Amino acid sequence: MALISHIIRNTSIKSLEEKFLCLSLQSLNNTQIREKQVAPQPRLRNPTWLTKKNRVIHDDFVTQENREFISEIVQDKYENNTNKNTLPNTVEWTPNMRRTGVIAKKIGVLPLWLNNGKKIQTTLLQVLDNHVIRYYTPEEYESPRERAIKVKNKAPCIIMGAEAVNPTLFTKEYCGLFKDSGVMPKKYLARFFVSSEAALPLGTPVSALHYSVGNYVDVRGKTKYWGFQGVMKRHGFKGMPASHGVTKTHRRGGNIGGGGEKGRVWPGTKMPGHMGNRYRITKGLKIWRINTKYNVLWVSGCAVPGETNSIVYIYDTILPLRKPTKPLPFPTYFDINNQDVPEDIYDDSVHKFDDLTLTFE
Amino acid sequence: MIVSTISRRCILRKQTSGILRVSSIRQLTSNTKSTKENIPTKFSLAEYRHVYPEFIPDPNVEFRNPIREKLERLDMLSRRAHIDIPEFYVGSILAVTSMDKHSPNKTNKFVGICIKREGCGLRAKFILRNVIDHQGVEVLYEMYDPVLSKIEVLRLEKRLDDELFYLRDALPEYSTFDSNMEPEIHPEGAPIPINPIKVKLKPRPWLERWERKDLKGIEQIDLPERFFIRAKELATPWEKYDMMKQYMKTIPEEEQTEIFAEIQQQLQQLELTRKKLKRKRTFIKPVKLA
Repeated sequence: MALISHIIRNTSIKSLEEKFLCLSLQSLNNTQIREKQVAPQPRLRNPTWLTKKNRVIHDDFVTQENREFISEIVQDKYENNTNKNTLPNTVEWTPNMRRTGVIAKKIGVLPLWLNNGKKIQTTLLQVLDNHVIRYYTPEEYESPRERAIKVKNKAPCIIMGAEAVNPTLFTKEYCGLFKDSGVMPKKYLARFFVSSEAALPLGTPVSALHYSVGNYVDVRGKTKYWGFQGVMKRHGFKGMPASHGVTKTHRRGGNIGGGGEKGRVWPGTKMPGHMGNRYRITKGLKIWRINTKYNVLWVSGCAVPGETNSIVYIYDTILPLRKPTKPLPFPTYFDINNQDVPEDIYDDSVHKFDDLTLTFE
Repeated sequence: MIVSTISRRCILRKQTSGILRVSSIRQLTSNTKSTKENIPTKFSLAEYRHVYPEFIPDPNVEFRNPIREKLERLDMLSRRAHIDIPEFYVGSILAVTSMDKHSPNKTNKFVGICIKREGCGLRAKFILRNVIDHQGVEVLYEMYDPVLSKIEVLRLEKRLDDELFYLRDALPEYSTFDSNMEPEIHPEGAPIPINPIKVKLKPRPWLERWERKDLKGIEQIDLPERFFIRAKELATPWEKYDMMKQYMKTIPEEEQTEIFAEIQQQLQQLELTRKKLKRKRTFIKPVKLA
């Protein structure tokens, strides 16, 4: 009897303990974190389907004739395979629908002038030869990262590829990824979550006209790699005086915390460390101009992450106040009647370079 | 072949300094005046880099992209169809007519000497300086800014230096120009005259330490010996032999000719229209005063 009561008491205590532990854990979770990445970044895990991309290229002593033969085969294989069964817009776009994004290249920063005489800085993003490589329904898609919390609203996703290159440079398995879509193997691949209405048939090309002038986009890119940097460059600290008796401390951060009860370095304290080479998103950039010949978007600001000639990913903006008001080409732009699109499409407020000199009345 | 000879000539023109060279150029101009029919009307490909320096892209490899540069050039040409941006150099006297959104219905003409020309592509800009009511005034103009309606060269010449910021510390008479100045006629195809004027600086304090800059366009400076000793210590006379530095700061000649060959036709078209306009202008009757 005594033993049983003892057991019961113990279990009750255990359950109580567990409850308390849970509480304490929750309270721990509420601690304020000043900087986002206190914990180390999660390891990059490639999707399960992604295979080894590049192969070791041996000098196989292939004769010139054979080389020509191979290139001929490549040409034959991919020329006839282009998917041209474009489908017309069946679904009308509504604001809660999510379209696919595109892979682009940041090609530089240029000024534009507005009709009110103001000069703005714009970043040029060249939309590469994007094609749909794969489409996953939410049931099919497996996240490469096991998540603790279950995702409730699973979305389908589209795999896009850009920049076709000679397939002989890739492994056989990597080239196999492009078998269903029938397009030439691409150098860059990206995954975009979409709503189920925005599904696209494999091999569909996506151009710069996927976006329209006056709308807003989010651009994701890998920031410049600065390596291990001091506090002045990394966080914009002022440093210390250069002279007036200051010795051995000119670019140092200074104090990093108080003493007493809280005598420790607080999590998130700004200190020297690794800077750049991380994926970052700049949100809410307006499209001022589109060049349809070279597929270039002029996007506001010079804060698009990454160096010139680096790869960026463009999405429709998620900012609620900058959502488009007019219907977008959905699921993407299709050239149905071979319409004549002007080479340069400008926003109404932008001064075109072909226009007459600005006058104010 | 032609290209190489001309580039050599350009280099020669750069290297020879001082009054001798200028006098020879003056002679040349007098010769060319007499034989007007033989003057070549178009610039050769190698000369374009002096006439249109902003068409040469930024040599920094990190910022280069062929498609961006192409689009930039197209925009520049389409803007040039509406404004005549003439050939000018640091030291030339310009008149710029522009409009300000804060004073509508008014055009503003500013006359001054070009003391700096920089930037490439759509970012090209220049600074004009003049002294108005005993007050030095400098205006920075962007070449492709759509509010500029007219850029006029009143006197086409060069100075002994590549930038004339020392005019800020010189006596005001060296940067005073009449705002009603008439444009001087420069015979087409004639070499650009170099003004050998030596500017007299005001006594210190200055905005910069001019004695350290190795300037050719300033008179003998009256300073204690220690200033010149220090200047000699800090001088880097070997830098002009640094071929790698030269290489990194310039775009190879082959690439330049490629760029200019691409836009040559449009540029020639623009030059032709400019000439036609000029001829038109000569027929306008002068207004009688008083």
